[in-house]
Amino acid sequence: MAVSSARGLLLASLLLSCLIHDCYGKILFSSLQSTLQVTTSTKQGVLKAGEDKVTVTWRVNQSLPSGTDSEYKTVTVKLCYSPVSQKDRAWRKTVDLLEKDKTCQFKIAARPYDKTVQTAEWIVEREVPTSTYFVRAYAFNADGQEVAFGQSTNDQKTTNLFDIQAISGRHASLDIASVCFSAFAVVSLFGFFYLEKRKGRSSQQK
Amino acid sequence: MTDVEGSPGTSMHGVTGREPAFASFVDSPMVPTDTTAKFALPVDSEHKAKVFKLFSFGKPHMRTFHLSWISFFTCFVSTFAAAPLVPIIRDNLNLTKADIGNAGVASVSGSIFSRLVMGAVCDMLGPRYGCAFLIMLTAPTVFCMSFISDASGYIAVRFMIGFSLATFVSCQYWMSTMFNSKIIGLANGTAAGWGNMGGGATQLLMPIVYDIIRRAGATPFTAWRIAFFIPGWLHVIMGILVLTLGQDLPDGNLGALQKKGSVAKDKFSKVMWYAVTNYRTWIFVLLYGYSMGVELSTDNVVAEYFYDRFDLKLHTAGIIAATFGMANLVARPFGGYASDKAALYFGMRGRLWVLWILQTMGGAFCVWLGRATTLPIAILSMILFSIGAQAACGATFGIIPFISRRSLGIISGLTGAGGNFGSGLTQLIFFSTTRFTTDQGLSWMGVMIMVCTLPVTLVHFPQWGSMFFPPSKDVVKSTEEHYYAAEWNEDEKKKGLHQGSLKFAENSRTERGKRIVSAPTPPGSTPAPV
Repeated sequence: MAVSSARGLLLASLLLSCLIHDCYGKILFSSLQSTLQVTTSTKQGVLKAGEDKVTVTWRVNQSLPSGTDSEYKTVTVKLCYSPVSQKDRAWRKTVDLLEKDKTCQFKIAARPYDKTVQTAEWIVEREVPTSTYFVRAYAFNADGQEVAFGQSTNDQKTTNLFDIQAISGRHASLDIASVCFSAFAVVSLFGFFYLEKRKGRSSQQK
Repeated sequence: MTDVEGSPGTSMHGVTGREPAFASFVDSPMVPTDTTAKFALPVDSEHKAKVFKLFSFGKPHMRTFHLSWISFFTCFVSTFAAAPLVPIIRDNLNLTKADIGNAGVASVSGSIFSRLVMGAVCDMLGPRYGCAFLIMLTAPTVFCMSFISDASGYIAVRFMIGFSLATFVSCQYWMSTMFNSKIIGLANGTAAGWGNMGGGATQLLMPIVYDIIRRAGATPFTAWRIAFFIPGWLHVIMGILVLTLGQDLPDGNLGALQKKGSVAKDKFSKVMWYAVTNYRTWIFVLLYGYSMGVELSTDNVVAEYFYDRFDLKLHTAGIIAATFGMANLVARPFGGYASDKAALYFGMRGRLWVLWILQTMGGAFCVWLGRATTLPIAILSMILFSIGAQAACGATFGIIPFISRRSLGIISGLTGAGGNFGSGLTQLIFFSTTRFTTDQGLSWMGVMIMVCTLPVTLVHFPQWGSMFFPPSKDVVKSTEEHYYAAEWNEDEKKKGLHQGSLKFAENSRTERGKRIVSAPTPPGSTPAPV
């Protein structure tokens, strides 16, 4: 009797903890409210990775009732792929479940939440690929869960996008080293071949 | 190698049925040892080794083995070196899924042609220079990876690096000049399997090298380019070792080969004819495309698959992907061993069943891999898939020597090419389009494996039977001699050119399994005096 009720209790608490864990882990993007206003300013034209910068400002929407931001403890600002850059590239796919979502892969800034207007200046990192981007900010509560967001583009992610051109990754020194080693391989091969042929011919003549 | 009619042991050959197809040594009565030769290993009259001693580096036989398999391994490393780094490369070069898939197809397509040419190159220059030329001339293509800046460059360079896989041919050719034909099965099988391991080793090596270079301070988009210098240097080092330490023949180098040219060689057109008109050739070309072919395809996609699907770090995905290719160490020889064991009891029918079972199970596990949603299940199914596919490769080459005696070389070559063709085809259909996600592609590839393995049920040997049918009841047609002698016309038979095939036929009676003790003496051949 005691055993079965103990087992029942164990089962119930396991189930409950699973549910709580589910609540913690499985946040959907569609459940978030768009309460932050995010704007970006960049230079005209295509930005160069490693050189140009993106300036982001954000603040909670002032027209919303006060107290909307009572839960917000930290804000993370991220660089996100636009739909045109996600096409044919499943590794950048937008998925509603936030922990599986691959839309925003680069962190611009992470700060404690502040009611006043926040600005961040970010030099585009050298590992950012060539693509079209927008900026999104997530607000987190004390448990580290997303509770709200804001982005610099519209819901369809078509307006206010900017282009970034990646570094090529090539270097003159690398190119030269490549050529040198390749030349060494070819020269040593043919050198060996002719040397052996000559040795063979001279030993035949003897 | 003197198999004189009537010499001790020839008439008893095959009666016990215990001679394995993958023997590791040759008994002296069968092949007399040349006692005048001074080599590290016992040799036959052509000075080919009669013993296969794995951990020796003795000149020239075992040294050849090690130079051979390591060269082939190196080429596998460089051909698949891009695969574990694709998550970085795709961002640097702005690749789409189609670009990545097409590059994978390109990496295996080049060698279809280079393997066919390599045979002729080995005939002309010898296997040592054949290997050295290929490995040294593809070294620049590996170094070229540091230049590329877009998708077309990426595809072109991977295509050119893929040519290096023709070292398979030089490897097998070189081994056949050094090892007696009775142990060549094991020697070649081990060399091929260990070479294939390179496809696994590279998934481990490249992410580690990339990590080290990044820690040294390079940005990701430069680090992967520098990482390619490692396979490039391996090419150069192996090329130099082959040139300085290797030799073409047990007794010396190229000059002797030219003397050998006085031996009458078979007509290429005839050999080709008997290869392509034997329907079994084409069934095995198809089958190998779905054992070796899917192994190559998986080498190209599995690291990226684990990286994306399970959100792993690059080197973690690399370690997992490496276990796929490294299973070749034991899986491929296991397939050959299982084939031999089955032949002991059931003869050729056993070999066919073993091949069908191994390859179909490989396909089933591939389906499971595509459907796995948790990491442990994915890893388990991947390992089982690798064992199935690679053992099937080993089992395939347990059967190929029996399809034809006259055209064995070309059939082996065609089968090998079929492997690469199958790889290109599966990558094109399942992994180059957005029609299938990678997990769906893997599952459908598994289905295609199972379907394309079914034709093995059609392979019928009149003297041994097939999977579902027993051997022919006809007294003449049910002999091995009839099957192998059918490859020679009357003129050639009059000249006695078919004697080698007859000898082979006699030796191949082991493929009757347990029935051989009661094998009837074939009509027309006089029993040799014991």
